[in-house]
Amino acid sequence: MITDTTTRYSEPMTEIPWAHHPPAPRITAVHTGIACGVLAVAAGTLFEVRPPEAYGICMACHGRDLVNWTINQMAGAHLTVAPASLVYPVLTTIGVLLGGWIGARTSGEFRWWTPDNPVKLFVHGLLVMNFALLAGGCSIRLLLRTASGEALGMMGFAGMAIGVVLGTFWLRWRATR
Amino acid sequence: MTATVTTLVVGVIAGYLGQRSRMCFVGGIRDFILVRDTALLKGLVAFGFTAWLLFPLAVVLTGDGALRFGTPDVVAAALTIVGGFGVGYVSTLANGCPLRQHVLAAQGAGSSMAYLAGFLGGALVFHVWIVGLIARLLP
Repeated sequence: MITDTTTRYSEPMTEIPWAHHPPAPRITAVHTGIACGVLAVAAGTLFEVRPPEAYGICMACHGRDLVNWTINQMAGAHLTVAPASLVYPVLTTIGVLLGGWIGARTSGEFRWWTPDNPVKLFVHGLLVMNFALLAGGCSIRLLLRTASGEALGMMGFAGMAIGVVLGTFWLRWRATR
Repeated sequence: MTATVTTLVVGVIAGYLGQRSRMCFVGGIRDFILVRDTALLKGLVAFGFTAWLLFPLAVVLTGDGALRFGTPDVVAAALTIVGGFGVGYVSTLANGCPLRQHVLAAQGAGSSMAYLAGFLGGALVFHVWIVGLIARLLP
């Protein structure tokens, strides 16, 4: 039986026995940033996730590679993929989904949640992917390219920062109107 | 094959840490402007700083000189800036960067699953229609 001191959530995952262990060590965003930085540089330079350069972690490009690689294999199409995933696919998308699921299950944070307006978020996802492929990377890879010293990456990251600032102002204006 | 295994392992670690720390590469700037909360912004800076320190080291380790970048031209720069701006603006409206949306979808959030459907479908839209459209509009 679970006492209130061992679980922080009202709805424990009773079917997962290892979900009731004491809470995992607290991981901050700084830990995650450092770990992801090490992994991204190592994957991009030492473990053949190249070319293009600074390609270690990118949610948009790797998602595109996986989708296009799958369609190319199944339908014999010739959609664009990065040279890094020409023969075998890159699986960052699946890995992150798996890792996030493991983290949510082990901490008891997994919860089904139905959205109010899924169409709006579908359109947001569509737009973010198209803008990201236009810029040559999602927010993570734009920062990675900036760190690697590429001039285009710096321009993209600056554009992204301006976009976030204006988007935040828009959100605040809409909330306080 | 190395790239496949590497990206899977990197993805699992990044997804787990991202779930535990609520890491978001857009939320850092947003939280700082809205409530002066620097927790996520520190993660963003830590990522950039770590990568900036390790890239020269990795280049020395692999022993193949500098990273090879193409020379930027005006068109590529304009497209990159516009694309970057769009990524930042729409991600803010969607409440999180792509990594955060993947993690939220793995946590069971239906909104992020709808986002991911658009995200992965958007790759197809881009390569089937948008690329041709841009190529026709540009000189």
